Amino acid sequence: MIIEKTFNKWILVFLFLIPVLGFIFEEPYYITLTTKVVILGIAGIGLNLALGYCGLISFGHAAFFGLGGYVTGILSFHALNSELMFSWPFVSSGSSDMLVIWPIVILSSAFLALIIGLLSLRTTGVYFIMITLAFAQMLYFFAISWPNYGGEDGLSIYMRNSLPMINTMDPLNFYFICLCWLLTVIFISAKLINSSFGMAFQAIKQNEERVKSVGIETFKVKLLVFVISGTITGLAGSLYTDLNRFISPSVLNWQMSGEIMVFVILGGIARLYGPLVGAAFFIVLEQTLGSYTENWQFWLGLILILEILYVRTGILSLFEKKLKYEK
Amino acid sequence: MKNKILNIKNLSKSYDAFKVTDKITIDLHFDEIHALIGPNGAGKSTLIKQIVGSVKHDIGSIILDQEDITDLTDVERAKIGISRTFQVSSIIPQFSAIDNIVLSLLDKSNKTFQLFKSIRNNKELYSNAKKILKEIELLEKSEISASDLSHGDRRKLEVGLALAMDPKVFLFDEPMAGLDENGTNMMINLFKKIKSNSPILLIEHDMDAVFALADRVSVINYGKIVATGTVNEIRQNELVRDVYLGYEI
Repeated sequence: MIIEKTFNKWILVFLFLIPVLGFIFEEPYYITLTTKVVILGIAGIGLNLALGYCGLISFGHAAFFGLGGYVTGILSFHALNSELMFSWPFVSSGSSDMLVIWPIVILSSAFLALIIGLLSLRTTGVYFIMITLAFAQMLYFFAISWPNYGGEDGLSIYMRNSLPMINTMDPLNFYFICLCWLLTVIFISAKLINSSFGMAFQAIKQNEERVKSVGIETFKVKLLVFVISGTITGLAGSLYTDLNRFISPSVLNWQMSGEIMVFVILGGIARLYGPLVGAAFFIVLEQTLGSYTENWQFWLGLILILEILYVRTGILSLFEKKLKYEK
Repeated sequence: MKNKILNIKNLSKSYDAFKVTDKITIDLHFDEIHALIGPNGAGKSTLIKQIVGSVKHDIGSIILDQEDITDLTDVERAKIGISRTFQVSSIIPQFSAIDNIVLSLLDKSNKTFQLFKSIRNNKELYSNAKKILKEIELLEKSEISASDLSHGDRRKLEVGLALAMDPKVFLFDEPMAGLDENGTNMMINLFKKIKSNSPILLIEHDMDAVFALADRVSVINYGKIVATGTVNEIRQNELVRDVYLGYEI
């Protein structure tokens, strides 16, 4: 574990260095690319809490990512166009202030996760996978058939949402906003994992019947993990909309859920920095292989197969130093 | 009734035409170890599962400490004081031995939903867990991953998990299976010590251990209780000799 911890520290150093180098060498594209890695890493860290640490194989996290994105897009769309959003119970014309948008995104993602969790956590195994997938697909088809906000074509916002005293249109500034969120999410996740609550949900992944037998209400534990997980992924969706200044139903599609899952599996299931490494690896592959062939995902599939066959616990496990008593 | 902490009446469970437990009536007194013996497949483990609530019964009632718990869920029953071990060791394999015990202490100490405080810094929980590990002679292996413990040590850890809950009653399902002589003696002494606080319903195939420990013995066969009595009464019961003990006791 010592080597992995050192590696994780280097990841943080790189996260500070790469965009600064991009700025110095006037390559803003690399800043944007690293911002995307950070945002997708946040989404992956959210899913990892449920999937990696609690064993909840959610195939519907695109629902939270997309909801966060759409809430941000819709609030911003109304504010920037000075259009009335609703007039009851109070009058609102949206908002383009990130300090207003983020709490709304957090609350709405948490609420959606609560509803989906309450219904889906009564099932297990393949049924849980299918029911979470079904919820995300419902939202996907709803977004497609919602012409007010672009329908299938998606919704563009011509300016990034604002933050007091910070020019969010500057790629480096926006990058550091996302990085702050990443560090916050890593900090919160680390605290959760090492808490007694974390002990309970990690035990549930390994042996739920035993956890029940010691009097722990596993349903409540799983529900809370699912809500926290969905909320974090929803926040990533919000940042993603601001990064692209665009949101479309594609982020609600099952393929998005699959991609977030790939970040987790590639980097390392139940490893705090795993999804971040997975997202970085995914983006690097997309950029490098994608410049040679349109079918770069074929090679991604091949790498995934090899990883599952030979590494299994993700890229980060290559840096793991086994403890004395481990076989 | 007052000297009974656990009172089970007419508990039955059928899978189609097959009656796994058939109108079982059994009780557990304060300060006693009540052993439940019988051939494999007689319904002993199913009875335990029905008492803890992981298998739903068809008819019957379960009274714990004068409270009807028949309609409670498995988690609710664990919370109010039923603690069990499993026939096949059921532990948290990737946790260390001490973390397994701490997990078992969480609910009693209302710490399950403590979200941000490091569990490792909770000295009280870990100190209590160490006391339990000492009782089950696993203190030296406290940091070893449960999956790396020997079979015998896992059986001890199972009992440790039950002890940590400080329950009203223990339901032990073959806790001595696979233990060496030292391990069995340790368990016998431990059970004798703890029964005054929490009586034990014990399923066990090791007849020496059963006869050394039990205050009463019930014999189950084809899902029915065929005899209940003291150790001597059971030893001399011809029906019991026929169905289970044989003639070599």
